[in-house]
Amino acid sequence: MASRITGWTVLPVSPVPRELDHGDARGRPEEEVVALFDQFRDPLLRYLSSLGIQFADGEEVIQEVFLSLFQHLRHGKARDNLRGWLFRVAHNLALKRRYRTLRESASLGKTGAEELAMAPGPSPEEQVVNSQTQQRLQAVVQALPEQDRRCLSLRAEGLRYREIAEILDMSLGAVSLSLGRSLARIARAAER
Amino acid sequence: MRLMKHEDSHLTDQQLLLDVEGQLSTHDGKLVRSHLDACWKCRTRRQEIDQAIADFVRVYQREFEGKLPPAEGPRALLRAQMAQLSAVAPIARSRWLAPSRRIDWVLAAAACGLAALGLYLVRAAVTGQGRPHRQTVIVSIPDSRLTPGAALLASRQTVCAQANTKNKAVPVALQREVFQEYGISGAEPQAYEVDYLVTPALGGADDIRNLWPHSYSATAWNARVKDALEDRLREMVCDGRLDLTEAQREIAGDWIAAYKKYFHTDHPLEEHWKQRAP
Repeated sequence: MASRITGWTVLPVSPVPRELDHGDARGRPEEEVVALFDQFRDPLLRYLSSLGIQFADGEEVIQEVFLSLFQHLRHGKARDNLRGWLFRVAHNLALKRRYRTLRESASLGKTGAEELAMAPGPSPEEQVVNSQTQQRLQAVVQALPEQDRRCLSLRAEGLRYREIAEILDMSLGAVSLSLGRSLARIARAAER
Repeated sequence: MRLMKHEDSHLTDQQLLLDVEGQLSTHDGKLVRSHLDACWKCRTRRQEIDQAIADFVRVYQREFEGKLPPAEGPRALLRAQMAQLSAVAPIARSRWLAPSRRIDWVLAAAACGLAALGLYLVRAAVTGQGRPHRQTVIVSIPDSRLTPGAALLASRQTVCAQANTKNKAVPVALQREVFQEYGISGAEPQAYEVDYLVTPALGGADDIRNLWPHSYSATAWNARVKDALEDRLREMVCDGRLDLTEAQREIAGDWIAAYKKYFHTDHPLEEHWKQRAP
């Protein structure tokens, strides 16, 4: 907007606020948290969606995760592998939320199936656009056991085997077995 | 890891996957590669596993392509909630707070309440729930990507010659754009001042990059507190005690830090944050 009006200039805002010049050498936790939010919000939202959490609920979980991270950093706690930390906390909070939703559904007499539905599948239009192979692969992925799907999603988000093992509380061997099993199914579906 | 017992046995899918993923030890990796050099069947299977990874990644990407909601609103909310937490429960507590565990609990409860309120608000922002009840998202610091600040190229004399130092009203359409940009399009307008980051009284421009929705009463660092800082800075600029460009930079960089600096306090003064909204 300013470019259309001559004589205006946009002031540069220094990336580290002046207040920090004589503060913590690592910068304000707020800025660090926002930088991590920008980096990991989408991967976390995708992962939560693959757990069956709707986007709106996923956003809430993510806010809670990053506020916990803010407190974690403010109190000077361990900062190694924050990516693993974020996914682990998000995973645990999401499962708690799902459990709570299930209990509430049970008390309201709902089956819970609609509450735990996966993120909405492709619309009829999208289904036409998707190739048959794609649809078959999608169906295979949806039909995988939940833990196998979690392993695949975390791996697709770039997490290492060791990180996946920590997040899902599995052994390293179990992670590689799970991934191997899932990929074998996907390979079989692609062959048909 | 135990690899093939016999020369003529084949590699398992798990062994092939670990090779594809580079997860094998140097020793096992050498054994696998030497087997693959000789075994067409395992080589083909390895390619199939590689292909399955590519297929899954395509399915995974397609599932979310263009479907994730924008991050601006949630980011602005996160910033606001962090500012609230910092104000309610500062890390470096003053001496009178330190011995009291009861006060710790009060602070923790207040922080939890704020977090719960924030979560409710972000849900409402994403789902549109809560309407027609309007939202009041707490915003006390601007998102520097959306609002970096913009100023006119004006001299100190021009700025100080302005008789009217009140901020002129922001057009409603522009206000709506600002709310939308911050992901709080259903906001209660009376709860905010669509505020100039650099006030026009200090040469601030009438530009969306210089505008943000500042909460009036939901936070200690509210719009009225910033108004007091603007008055103080203008007074100092016009008295020749502060350079105009420096004042613009300080207020655009971190207005809360500037307030603390020029009012010599870590907390907003009561006479400022308790003023009535216009």
